[in-house]
Formats: sequence, structure tokens, C-alpha cells
Amino acid sequence: MLYLIGLGLSHETDITVRGLETVRKCKRVYLEAYTSILMAADKESLEKFYGKEVILADRELVEGGTDEILAGAEVDDIAFLVVGDVYGATTHTDLVLRAKEKGIKYEAIHNASVMNAVGASGLQLYQFGQTISLVFFTDSWKPDSFYSRIMENRKIGLHTLILLDIKVKEQSIENMARGRLIYEPPRYMNIATAAEQLLEIEEIRGEKAYTPNTPCIAVSRLGSPSQTFKAATLEELVNYDSGEPLHSLIMLGRQVHDLELEFLYQFCEDPVAFKKFVEEDQEYFKPPPYVPPPDDADDDL
Amino acid sequence: MVAFTIDQIRDLMDKVTNVRNMSVIAHVDHGKSTLTDSLVQKAGIISAAKAGDARFMDTRKDEQERGITIKSTAISLYASMTEDDCKEIKQKTEGESFLINLIDSPGHVDFSSEVTAALRVTDGALVVVDTVEGVCVQTETVLRQSLTERIKPVVIINKVDRALLELQVSKEDLYQSFSRTVESVNVIISTYADKEMGDMQVYPDKGTVAFGSGLHGWAFTVRQFALRYSKKFGVDRAKMMERLWGDSYFNPKTKKWTNKDKDADGKPLERAFNMFVLDPIFRLFAAIMNFKKDEIPTLLEKLEINLKGDEKELEGKALLKVVMRKFLPAADALLEMIVIHLPSPVTAQAYRAESLYEGPADDANCQAIKNCDPKADLMLYVSKMVPTSDKGRFYAFGRVFAGTVKSGQKVRIQGPNYQPGKKDDLFLKSIQRTVLMMGRNVEQIDDCPAGNIIGLVGIDQFLLKSGTITTSETAHNMKVMKFSVSPVVQVAVEVKNANDLPKLVEGLKRLSKSDPCVLTSMNESGEHIVAGSGELHLEICLNDLQNDHAGVPLKISPPVVSYRETVEGESRMVALSKSPNKHNRIYVKAQPIDEEVSLAIENGTVNPRDDFKARARILADEFGWDVTDARKIWCFGPDGNGPNLVVDQTKAVQYLNEIKDSVVAAFQWATKEGPIFGENLRSVRVNILDVTLHTDAIHRGGGQIIPTMRRVTYASMLLAEPAIQEPIFLVEIQCPENAIGGIYSVLNRKRGQVISEEQRPGTPLFTVKAYLPVNESFGFTGELRQATGGQAFPQLIMDHWQVMGGDPTDPTSKPGAIVKEKRERQGMKSEVPGYEEYYDKL
Repeated sequence: MLYLIGLGLSHETDITVRGLETVRKCKRVYLEAYTSILMAADKESLEKFYGKEVILADRELVEGGTDEILAGAEVDDIAFLVVGDVYGATTHTDLVLRAKEKGIKYEAIHNASVMNAVGASGLQLYQFGQTISLVFFTDSWKPDSFYSRIMENRKIGLHTLILLDIKVKEQSIENMARGRLIYEPPRYMNIATAAEQLLEIEEIRGEKAYTPNTPCIAVSRLGSPSQTFKAATLEELVNYDSGEPLHSLIMLGRQVHDLELEFLYQFCEDPVAFKKFVEEDQEYFKPPPYVPPPDDADDDL
Repeated sequence: MVAFTIDQIRDLMDKVTNVRNMSVIAHVDHGKSTLTDSLVQKAGIISAAKAGDARFMDTRKDEQERGITIKSTAISLYASMTEDDCKEIKQKTEGESFLINLIDSPGHVDFSSEVTAALRVTDGALVVVDTVEGVCVQTETVLRQSLTERIKPVVIINKVDRALLELQVSKEDLYQSFSRTVESVNVIISTYADKEMGDMQVYPDKGTVAFGSGLHGWAFTVRQFALRYSKKFGVDRAKMMERLWGDSYFNPKTKKWTNKDKDADGKPLERAFNMFVLDPIFRLFAAIMNFKKDEIPTLLEKLEINLKGDEKELEGKALLKVVMRKFLPAADALLEMIVIHLPSPVTAQAYRAESLYEGPADDANCQAIKNCDPKADLMLYVSKMVPTSDKGRFYAFGRVFAGTVKSGQKVRIQGPNYQPGKKDDLFLKSIQRTVLMMGRNVEQIDDCPAGNIIGLVGIDQFLLKSGTITTSETAHNMKVMKFSVSPVVQVAVEVKNANDLPKLVEGLKRLSKSDPCVLTSMNESGEHIVAGSGELHLEICLNDLQNDHAGVPLKISPPVVSYRETVEGESRMVALSKSPNKHNRIYVKAQPIDEEVSLAIENGTVNPRDDFKARARILADEFGWDVTDARKIWCFGPDGNGPNLVVDQTKAVQYLNEIKDSVVAAFQWATKEGPIFGENLRSVRVNILDVTLHTDAIHRGGGQIIPTMRRVTYASMLLAEPAIQEPIFLVEIQCPENAIGGIYSVLNRKRGQVISEEQRPGTPLFTVKAYLPVNESFGFTGELRQATGGQAFPQLIMDHWQVMGGDPTDPTSKPGAIVKEKRERQGMKSEVPGYEEYYDKL
């Protein structure tokens, strides 16, 4: 049996009781360690807590070594631990497909993910549109397809959750091209870089999907005790020191509910100014005012 | 004793119309450096007595010892002409003083990259041809190189003394031999000359061909004799020149000129050239070499030659040398030819600008080059690095094409990979000093205006081998030089003493800087590789490395050849690879590129930097490509300019442009290290048929696409009849008839293939041409010497790549054995992996 178990966001103790019980009875325990990190725990603390050995699964093992992970899963119980929720990081659907192919049964044990925990910002989860991720730009590689999706979200007034690139164990371009497994030190995108990159693309595309004055919420270390939020315009965030990783960013949509706004005031320095920016931003993509259908009855007169 | 001062030179630099930048080029041993001595002697730098054996331009110890030139060396000379001479000059000039920037270049084929570097900074070339040997393979190569760089040639037929003393030819035979040589030179010129430059052929009767002996220090042009006789006959000089060459005869009885070789009575007439030009020379030779003491003084008097006291005591060759040098000083003939017929920078840059500049022809920098404008933004091309006396530092040697370069000036240093608007390969630095390169010495000057050749101090760390220096932010690069040789022979070097490793690494860096052609790299198994264009080149480089650049004892592996990996058919099925996360899929097929297209890419006719529409036009019109395909070439590889292509044949794939960068990066490495045995690819075209991509950029970053593109390239190649190509030398051997047997037997043993065997008319020499695999060429020269009793000396020049028959993946075939050996040496698995290794099932 393959168990896919979500670990939650921060502490080793964030695992669910059912998850913990399952881990303890499994023969092998893999920890997927590259799509995200547990902010307040590491391999050692997890092992101590579970009382079991934990095998770190890097990109090569998860993407290239599925057979190794699934070996013996027909009879033994194997746990595959994922930071956040099991299906939050897309790559793991492939593992499930492989298991199905081999006739291995599987079960998922869920947990919190950034996708739902952003509710802590006070924004309603119902109001979010497509989630996008923002990668580290290089001199020549600046993928901007996310821009159209922000545009789509904002057109229908929805908030956009922007996940920021992390490079836990990445090869340099040269090593990648030559197929050598030599890794660069880990890098995590901070809020300032994200804001800069967003503005850079807006400058290039110039379609006004957002502006430097568009209000955003910087979400840092979500789910940990040091979790912070910061509400400000995109331009202000360029100079924001967001501290330790991990970070995400929310770009507000047009439909900001009064209650949402009131909640956001606690995260900003100058609520009056922020409110002004929100109101200005709402002017973009505003639907044309309602025009009542002409009253047919009048025509008859 | 120097006949001119640096201040005089600096003054002349501003009068660009009176500057001549020229290189001396020729086949090996045809006497370039010796001739150059005559010019240097004229400028008073070496004594007249030593000219002929000083080889002033051979500045290195090994050059002096071996008697060959290895590095090109530059010197500035000051010349003053008579008013009369200046009238002949068909371009604008100012006064009668001239500055000649001369570069002596090596003749051995292994060093022809040095010639390329010399040609780039000059506008004219003095082509030296041996009277006896005639036009040889390297003469053709250097002529071709100079013409493609739009450089005007003048010719000197050298070693005439050999023809007279050793071969004892008659006057008419000598004339015929001259005329044949001129003709073969003109055949080459008309084949390669650029229409833009007009008629580039050389004519003795126009004064663009000289004859002489560098060793004895004499030379003449028809013009000089015409000058003497025009007074005597009272005929216009120009007319006289025409009469002194070709089918023109003088009837001494009737005192009439005719173009028939018989007079009215049917008696043969003597050719005017023989009668007026060769006759005095022959008589002098005969009188002096046959010790006819009584004849000599009258002859000397007639020719207006005055000997000084002790010179009168000389006899035989020594006397001949002194007499000839007084009669026909080589420097006068050469200077005359150079000053009158070679273009000034102003003239030359007008037609060279477009072929020198990568950017559009109408931009300000191109215009500045065209006008040779010293007040415009600086445009300077560094063509090579010259070691300084300060170990490990280099002068950047180059030519100012526009603007003025000054000591302390802040400049942009643009390497070959720089692209306008980007920051790659770009440095902003100050030039510490500007110096004049004077053979063995340098002289400091404050600045240097457009049109001149200059050395720069303090920027060597920022340039690898060559590059563009400019002050304009919008300037494109000057065109990168194309070398006619490629580094096909390589060795691995190792330090004997492990502690010396850092010195080796540093030494390799310096070596790579000091030579335009050598390549240094590190392979998979951590060996340091040095690659050169031939055995001799490599030997010189390794000597330098061991004794100079690194200065530590080295272990050197036996030389090995670099091969190329290619395909001979289309992939038999579509190759598919999935990205590690399985969300992205690339479908490609590989197919071979026609040899003509590969050659066009290698010689720059089809260029990655060209506008894609113009390039597509050429590919479609000249090479039968499909225009749509030709427009969708994504990249060249390896190094962005090699003869392998990625062609996008997909239909409407979303986000495709966002993975282009990763595909290009992957292809560069895949083409650099092929799947068969880690060699460069050649003539492989990869067609991307379809791509499936994840919508979110984070799941299709470089980490996902690069390995996938690399794998799919390999898979498609292994599915397309992979093969390997080996480099083939063109061998040219000149030898007497009795040595031919020996040559054939050595060639046969070494898989050589004779393509022609010809006797050189008028000489007992035979020229044998053959193809020889580079792999078999090691020790070839030695064996040939043995088999022919030292009578045959080969010239080897990289000619083409040839597919080796046999399956490289089968270790029992010949290519298979080479592949296996190399794989094992590099610590790879000994078998070539199957395509399955890189292929993913759907």
C-alpha cells in the first residue's frame, strides 16, 4: 500500500493523527524535499518525532526513480510524505499513476496547504482565481505567460495567489545540459524580487493587467509562529524586507469585500492610503454600469 | 642608429592617406622574413650587412633556431618617396613621407591563424612566391584569405638568385617561369576576388609584381627599369613599362618596337624584358661568378654602381651581393610597390567597412569606419594578443578603424559573444597605455588615430583572444575572424608534480590567449586538453606552455585526433523524451545536413548573426531548403555558430517561445558532447515536430526542458544511422622525381590517397598532392624523410571532414574501435548506449 501523507506547513507536529499513525506502521518513509520545505522542522526532527528513519527524496528520485520508491509496495506499506497537501504539488500525480499501473493500492491523507491557508490573510477563498507561480528570471529567460492569467483573474474581479520559485537542489544550466548531478546552493524568491519581476513584465507587456499601485498582500512563513502579512502596493513591496523564506504573494482582485478590507487594515501602515489605492484599482476592469432593458410598455404609448 | 624618430611616426599617423598597413604573406620558406629584413634595414634598424640573415621579425628564440616564423610580428617603418613617385599614386596623398605598418606572418600552414589575425588589421599584402617552387598550397591559402578579407595583393617573385645560380636557366626560360607564376597567382586572385574591390590581378607591366632575392637584398620592378630607359629612349615611362613585359620586342637594327618575335628577314628577336631587364643582371652574375675581373669594372661603370674601398676587394658571391644591392636595392623596389599600389586606410576602409562590421551598413559606426574618421566614436578591433616582457601579461594588438584611441581612455571591451543591448561578454575599462609595436621593442605613444595599428596595455584580462573596443554604446561588434585551420590534433597534458597543478591551469589560460587558434579545455575525466592545428603547431604550443606560460614539467599524452559525430539518415521513428516531471514532452527527428550547407556555415556564408530572412533566402536559393524551415532555424550549435541546427516544425504550440532558451542551451551542450563518444556533432539537423508543455512556467523551467532536449537530441541521432567523421589533411609534397616512389609507399601505408602528380615546368621538381587522414599523419614527415632520403618535405593542411565507413556502435568496425578506445580513455562505459537510454515510451 502506498500512503501519500500531507505534512502541513511548518512543524513536525502539524501532521494529522491519522497520518502519524500511518507513518509509524510503514516500512519505508520517503520525504519529498524539493517542491517545498517544512519551515520549522528537518529530517532529524521528523525522524525523532516518528521514531523511524526518513529517506529524503530529491527531484531525481521522485521524477526518475519511481520504481525504487514503489519497490515492494504490493506487500509492504510505503509512506510518501509531502509538505503541505498531497496534491498541492502537481508532480505527484505521476507517482499515483505509476502505482496504479503496477496494481498498487494507494491512499491519500490530507493536510493544510498554502492553497487554503491563505485564508489567514482575511481574503475569502471563494474569491481566488487561478493560482500562478513566478520563476526566477535569468538574463534571457523571462517567461511571462502568467501575465495573461493574472489578466483573466482580474477581469472577473478575482484575487490571484502567486507562488514564488524555490530552488532547493537545482543544477546550473551547464550541469543540466551536460547531465551532471552537481547542485547549486538553495535559493528562495523573496517578496521584493517577485514584485520587481512582476513590474518588469508589466513594463514589457504594458496591457495594464496590474499597475505599480495595485494593492497586494505579502504572505511570509504561512502557518509558522512567525507568520506575517503585509498589505501594500506592488511598488511599495519592491522595498519590503520579507525576512526568512517561504513567501507568497496575493494580488487583489476588483471584488474586495468590505470585511476583507477591514481585515487587511491590520497589515498595512496607512489604512487610509491603502483604502485609496484599493478604490483606485477597482476602477480597472469595472463592468459597464447596469443599463435597465428598455421598457417595452412605454413604446406602445 | 634609427633613421626615424617616434615623433616623426606619430605625425604621420594623422595623415592617414600616407599610411600603408600591409602584411607579408607566403608559403613556408619562400623568404618572407628575409625580405622583410631588407625593409627594416632601409629604415635603419638593422645594419645593411646583416640584412638577409638577421631575421629581425623572428623575435622568439625558437623562431631564430628553427628558421621559421611562428608568430606574426609588426613594425612601423618610415619611408620617403620622390616627388616623381608620388605622382604615380592613384589615391589621395599628402607630402612625400609615408608610414608603413608592416606585419611579417608565418608561412607554415599550422600557423595560418596568425596570418588571419595579421590580415585583419592590414589593407594590403605583399605575397612572396619562390621562383623555383612557384605557387604552392599555402600561397593559395593566404591569397584566398587576404582576398576574402578584401585585402589588395602585390607580388614579389623571390629567390631569383637560385634560378640563376643553381638552375642556370636561360633568360627566356626565366621570363617564362615568371610569367607562369604571375598567371597562376592571377588565376587564384580572379577565383576569390570580391567584385566590390575591382580588378585585383597583378601585372608586371603595371608595377604590381617585383622580382628579386631577399637573401642577397636586391629586387626590381619593371617600373624601375622603365624609369632608366625612358630617359635613354626619350619615351614616356608608362609606355615604356608596357613595352618591357609580355610579347614586345626591340629590333636593334631598325630601332623599332614590334610585337612579333621575328624581324622582317625572319631572324629571331630578343624579348624586350630579356634584353633590357634580364640582360644586365645576367651579365653581372656571369662576370662576377666566373671571376672575369676585367669585365667587372666596365659593367659597373655602365650601370652606375660605385664600390667603396674595401668592397672592391671582394669577389664571388660576396661581391655579387654588394653589387646587386647597390644596383637594385630590394627596399626601393618594395617600398615603391607598397606605397604606390597598396591602398591607404582611407581608400581601403571605404570598401572594407561593410565586410568588417556586423551591424547595419547605415549606422554611425559603420559610416565612421567607411570614412576612417579619427573624430568619430572609437572602433578598434583586437586581432591577437602579444606577450609582454612582464610574464603572463599581454599587449592587445589591433587596428583603429574609427576614432582615436588614447592612454587612459575609458572604453567598452566587447568580446565575440557580445550582442548590442546585452551585458554578456562586455567590460567597461580604461586603457592604461597605447604603444607602437616595433618588432622586438615597443614605443609608447599618447594616442593613435583611425587607420593605424596599435598595441594596448591593460585590457588583456578582459579579452580571451580577440574582440572589439569601442566608445559607442550602440556599436555592434566588428566581424569575428574566420580561421582557415581548425584545431584537429589534441593532446592531454598533466603535471608531473601534483603541486604544480595551479601553475598548469594558469599556464593554459595564458597559452590560449597568446595564440589565435589553440584551444584548451578540460574533459569529463578531468584531463587538460590542448588542441592545435597540426603537429608542429602543437609542439610549439606545448613548448611554450612547459617553458614559459606554466613553467613546470609536464607529462604529455600521444597526440589524438578530434572527430565529429554525425548522422547519415533520418531518424527511423520520431524520438520522444519526457521531462523529469513528465509534464513536458518533446518530439523530434534528426537528419543530416548537406555537406555544402555545413561548409557554408563553417566559412560564415550562412551565419547565425545574419538577419534570419536574408539567411533563409540564401538557404532556399543556393541550397534548396524549404523557406519555412529555413526561417525557423532556432539555433546553431555548438557555441552558437556550429554546423548543427535546430529547426522548429511545430504547429501552434502555446508557450513554445518560453522554452526556446532552454532548448538552445541544451542543444549547445548536446552538440558539443555527442552521444557516441563525446565529440562535437557536425551536419546534424534536429527538427522539433511537436512539444507538449505544462501551462505553468514553474513546471517547464530549464530544469525540466534542458535535460529533455539533450536526451531527445541524443535519441534522435542514435535512431538516424549515426556515424563519425574524421579530419583529412591535404598533403602537398615537392620533390625530385627519384623521391616519388618513396612518397607513394609511405602514403599507401598511411591510408593516403594521391589526387595529383605534376611536374613543375622548367624545373626537375614534382608536386604530389594527396589526402591523408589526420589520424595517420603523426610521424608522417619523419617517415617520408626516411623513405626519400630527406628529399621530400610535406605541407599538411586541414582540408575536409570525411565520414568513416562502418558502424561506430559496433566495436569490431574501424570507427567502432576508435569510439571504444576514446570512451574507455575518458572513463565512459565502453559501449555506445542504445537510443532506448534517451527515449521515453509514450
